[in-house]
Amino acid sequence: MKRWFVGFMIALAAAAMYTLTPTARAAQTPAATTYTPPRTPEGQPDLQGVWQALNTASWDLEDHHASLGVPAGQGVVEGGAIPYQPAALAKKKENFEKRATLDPETRCHLPGVPRITYMPYPFRIVQQADRVTIVHEYVRAIRYIYMNGNPHPRGHIDWYMGDSRGRWEGNTLVVDVIDFNDETWFDRAGNFHSDALHVVERFTPTGPDHLLYEATIEDPKVFTRPWKMSMPLYRRQEKNVELLEYECGAYLLEQEWDKPGSPFFEKH
Amino acid sequence: MTDRCFTAFTALTAGFFILVLAPGTSAGQAFYPKETPKFPQARTWLQQKAKLPPYSPRRTPDGVPDLQGVWGGPIGGGNDDIEEHEYVDVTTPAQESYISDPPDGRVPYTPWALARRNEIRAGLARGWPGETGERLYTDPEGLCLIGMPRIAFGAQEIVQKPGYVILLTANTYRVIPTDGRPPIGQNAKFFFGNSRGHWEGDTLVVEVTSLSGKTWFDSAGNYFSENTRLIERWRLADANTIDYEVTIEDPTIYTRPWKMNYPKRRAGTAGAGGGGGINAAGAAGVVPASDPYAKEFWEQTCHEGNLEHVIGLRELGFKWFKGVTPPK
Repeated sequence: MKRWFVGFMIALAAAAMYTLTPTARAAQTPAATTYTPPRTPEGQPDLQGVWQALNTASWDLEDHHASLGVPAGQGVVEGGAIPYQPAALAKKKENFEKRATLDPETRCHLPGVPRITYMPYPFRIVQQADRVTIVHEYVRAIRYIYMNGNPHPRGHIDWYMGDSRGRWEGNTLVVDVIDFNDETWFDRAGNFHSDALHVVERFTPTGPDHLLYEATIEDPKVFTRPWKMSMPLYRRQEKNVELLEYECGAYLLEQEWDKPGSPFFEKH
Repeated sequence: MTDRCFTAFTALTAGFFILVLAPGTSAGQAFYPKETPKFPQARTWLQQKAKLPPYSPRRTPDGVPDLQGVWGGPIGGGNDDIEEHEYVDVTTPAQESYISDPPDGRVPYTPWALARRNEIRAGLARGWPGETGERLYTDPEGLCLIGMPRIAFGAQEIVQKPGYVILLTANTYRVIPTDGRPPIGQNAKFFFGNSRGHWEGDTLVVEVTSLSGKTWFDSAGNYFSENTRLIERWRLADANTIDYEVTIEDPTIYTRPWKMNYPKRRAGTAGAGGGGGINAAGAAGVVPASDPYAKEFWEQTCHEGNLEHVIGLRELGFKWFKGVTPPK
């Protein structure tokens, strides 16, 4: 058999396998696209603008029913369930039971990655040649995604938002994030990680007003295998949209300051 | 949320454990001996500025002046007291006033407002002369509350984009739309206010309204209100210097508009104070400029490690500063 023909058959088989791989159950996101985004003056795919998630992931990444103040929602985890190790699953359940006090969001801390991406607040993407900056309305948090050739600094470093290093794969912004502390959660349902968390995010433009956001989560101290979440992000359509302000810590302190015996100040 | 109040920040670079700053308003703050020469501010800058030749800035592809880059805050002891003062203590060395107008360098408070400022200052419980011993309010920055215009005292990176200018620091940002949109409704209040910019010749003019009035100009109790309007003017005086001027207007507490004026120097050039370095290790002078990471912004936190400090202040009896309500 001619060598080119062998190569062709292998390629054909690979393509068939790729095509026939069943799509994961919970990936309610647009399929891979041939959309070609505009380019920045530096020649990069232009992902800039004000974006926001529109789902219930900030309450619970998995399928969940409604409760008071919590809308029911379909999960964003591919395969449906987060693959916890047994001890970690018990801790997740405990987190859920005690979420009113244990959720770091109730203390207005920086919420970590990827959680901040799907909280119900808009964020703006700003691109420069060697850096993508994401500024969030929530607590004015900033993510600097460096693409300057520097690898992750030597660590480990305990950061709430981790250390983000980016690269372009075609039109997709791929961000590798490590150097987390173990003090953030993924949602209000107690889904959690350790300081060994490694997140790989992919931002893919699927149309002028949509990004496909995918985050692969790896944490050998907590999960049995890497898992993935995915969701669309929507460009805010209001002509006058701008990031305003959610100074969570200021509102919390002002509310609690004058309460005698406030549990917020007592419990720590 | 500045480097003065960030707390549980751990920096590790080039394999070396650099610094862990403990909670407290003095975290990361320089300490000045009594013989420290008086820091120059507005008066000296006005004299220097008068001697500078005209400068024509480089322009961006959009045809507006290119202000982009990283700019340090004013050099000196920081924003401990915006008015002129002699040496007070190790955190508050002698300093000229930041105020360029009126010429006496004093905030032109109305009599009611000046009495209120003096009452606040006498209740700071910092061990300063003239204090009553009462604990009234504590500097909002120590509670991680910072807003406009105090954020401008620190180092910032300016990035210009079509339709907006964005100012970036290690832990916060301001977006200034320049597309001519109207400001947000004045009943909506924000710690950073609501900024609208436009270009007047070579100057970026930014009007800031909708301020909450719950933060201060400095740590010495100089304050504004929710009626205050700021007009900032950002202009390149030379290739490495921004001439920053802010006019403060509020007829409810001041007898006239007044101005602060000081230079912001390009990071890495002489006189770039106020954290001209970028990541905390760079700012602390621990990492040389040649370090590949020295120009990166690294995470700084504030609320996350500040709770013990906050609990201490509350237990000492300090009240929550809710802004001032001037008499009608």
